Amino acid sequence: MIRLLLRRLAQGLLVVFVLETITFFLVRLLPGNPFLGDRKLPEHIMAQLNNLYGLDQPAWVQYLNYWKGILLHGDFGPSLVREGVQVSTIISQAFPVSLEVGVVGMLIAVCVGIPAGMLAAWYRNRWPDALLMLPAMAGICIPAFVTAPVFGLVLGTHVPGLSVAGWDNPLCVVLPALTLGLINAAYIARLTRGGMVEVLAQDFVRTARAKGCGPARLLYVHAMRSGLLPAVSYLGPAFAALITGSFVVETCFQVPGMGLHFVNATTDRDYFLIQGLVFCYGSLIVAANLVVDLVLVALNPRLRSQGTA
Amino acid sequence: MSTPAYTQGNSLWQDAMRRLRNNRAAVASLVFLLLVTAACFLLPLFPFIANPNDTNLDNIAGPCCWEHPFGTDQLGRDLLARVLYGGRISLLVGAVATGVSLLVGLVYGLVSGYVGGRTDALMMRAVDVLFALPFIVLVIVFSLSIEEPVKALTTWLVNTTGWSRESVAPILGLVPLFIAIGALGWLTLARIVRTQTLEMKAQEYVMAARSLGLGHMRILFRHIAPNLLGTVVVYTTLAVPGIMLTESTLSFIGLGVKAPNSSWGTLIKEGADRMEVSPELLLFPSLFFCLTLLALNFLGDGLRDAIDPKSAKD
Repeated sequence: MIRLLLRRLAQGLLVVFVLETITFFLVRLLPGNPFLGDRKLPEHIMAQLNNLYGLDQPAWVQYLNYWKGILLHGDFGPSLVREGVQVSTIISQAFPVSLEVGVVGMLIAVCVGIPAGMLAAWYRNRWPDALLMLPAMAGICIPAFVTAPVFGLVLGTHVPGLSVAGWDNPLCVVLPALTLGLINAAYIARLTRGGMVEVLAQDFVRTARAKGCGPARLLYVHAMRSGLLPAVSYLGPAFAALITGSFVVETCFQVPGMGLHFVNATTDRDYFLIQGLVFCYGSLIVAANLVVDLVLVALNPRLRSQGTA
Repeated sequence: MSTPAYTQGNSLWQDAMRRLRNNRAAVASLVFLLLVTAACFLLPLFPFIANPNDTNLDNIAGPCCWEHPFGTDQLGRDLLARVLYGGRISLLVGAVATGVSLLVGLVYGLVSGYVGGRTDALMMRAVDVLFALPFIVLVIVFSLSIEEPVKALTTWLVNTTGWSRESVAPILGLVPLFIAIGALGWLTLARIVRTQTLEMKAQEYVMAARSLGLGHMRILFRHIAPNLLGTVVVYTTLAVPGIMLTESTLSFIGLGVKAPNSSWGTLIKEGADRMEVSPELLLFPSLFFCLTLLALNFLGDGLRDAIDPKSAKD
């Protein structure tokens, strides 16, 4: 178990390293540069700016300096577009916002999705199944940029206290989290149903039933353990994606989170900010996958001997 | 799978088709998809569908009427025509980008699974890295870096073939989107195909083929690949909605389909901006978009149940 953990951790670090390297060179290959504003800057000012941020050095020198900054000082560099602001400052302001929306959204997703999927599997091909799975299918097909404005219009104007935009009171989290949560609930419900249906058809479940096991014990003790595997593997990456912010939802509700920065930094060619954001996102994805692997091994003892999940 | 000489057996595919025909939701979805595709590509050929770019400032956000069944938008353009033309782009991007990702994912997964060992490990780690890249950043970076070469290609085409720039530019303008979405959509398929290839490789018939002296290429593409067809068909049907969703999300942000082209994503964006005043601008494009995705998902589920009876509902 410890060996598995260590090997996965090493692989994860490697993935983050390669990811950061690819991003570093990819963003510099993009046409344009961070200093192309509304006004064209004179040649010598451009040269000074490039010199100030070290962008006039050869790419590999910049690359080494960048890693030196991160490893020795924990410094992700300055934002090239927002003057005088450090990348770490931007991320430390935006991340808690996205984290809050993501955590609440995931709670909604899990609390709605898993019970719905289990119910649907239990009543397979009967009316509760259809009643639950039809909205789940709809949830997958209706994109966030349709549900977000509709929720904003319908709930935001009719429920007192809910705010449809901004981030100035604690209730602001409700609508973005609901939008994200319901979409993910739909995926989780379908995965849970699929996993549970498969398990419920297996011999050991029939044996348990034959021995007089009640439905609650059958579901929660016997079937749930392996029936939830598909949903668990989905949860990890989904959670990482959720807490690093969704651009669409953050735009629709004007939430100052990470998602907004992702797109703006790329279109602005803010090299250091893109690199910092990708670092953050990649680390979270890798960490989430690691946790998922461990949970999968804990839930499914057969994986233990194989060493990989 | 050999059929006895005296009776005509059902092949795997005949069985699958029978099961699919018995699935009412899947058949209805298939019919719906064919109708929508036909409507988007054929209806605009008739004169009673207005030009989607004709503005009429005397009839802004007009109501539904006989002349404009879906009403008109904020510039007085016929919404029905815009939805149909937008559908062309959305369906086209969905189909082409899925094709690209299918090709890449299939070959990548086959090679990775078949070669095995270190190569396999390396190829799969590369997939891990790409998975960890934020999709949206990658798509933006990709489509931006392809934009210049595509512009050069457009100019070259216009100069050498004498086609008008107006007829070439809109289609070529979509190319960065095709490539960017397709180039990133193959990851899941590559993983699925690799797992299946690993399984197939260990089976006796592959060993038999090898002991008969067949080359690797022949084994890979004639003996292993056809057995993956079921998985690939199912995955493809389920991947199209995801890819169409990506396209519309990008267009919604303003990074996907650009004017003069419009897709269901851009129409939904325009509708969402004017939702309070004229909700039908949001309603009709969303309705077409969501129903198409719904049909694709139902069809995919139906195909999966038909091809893999183990996962079938009954």
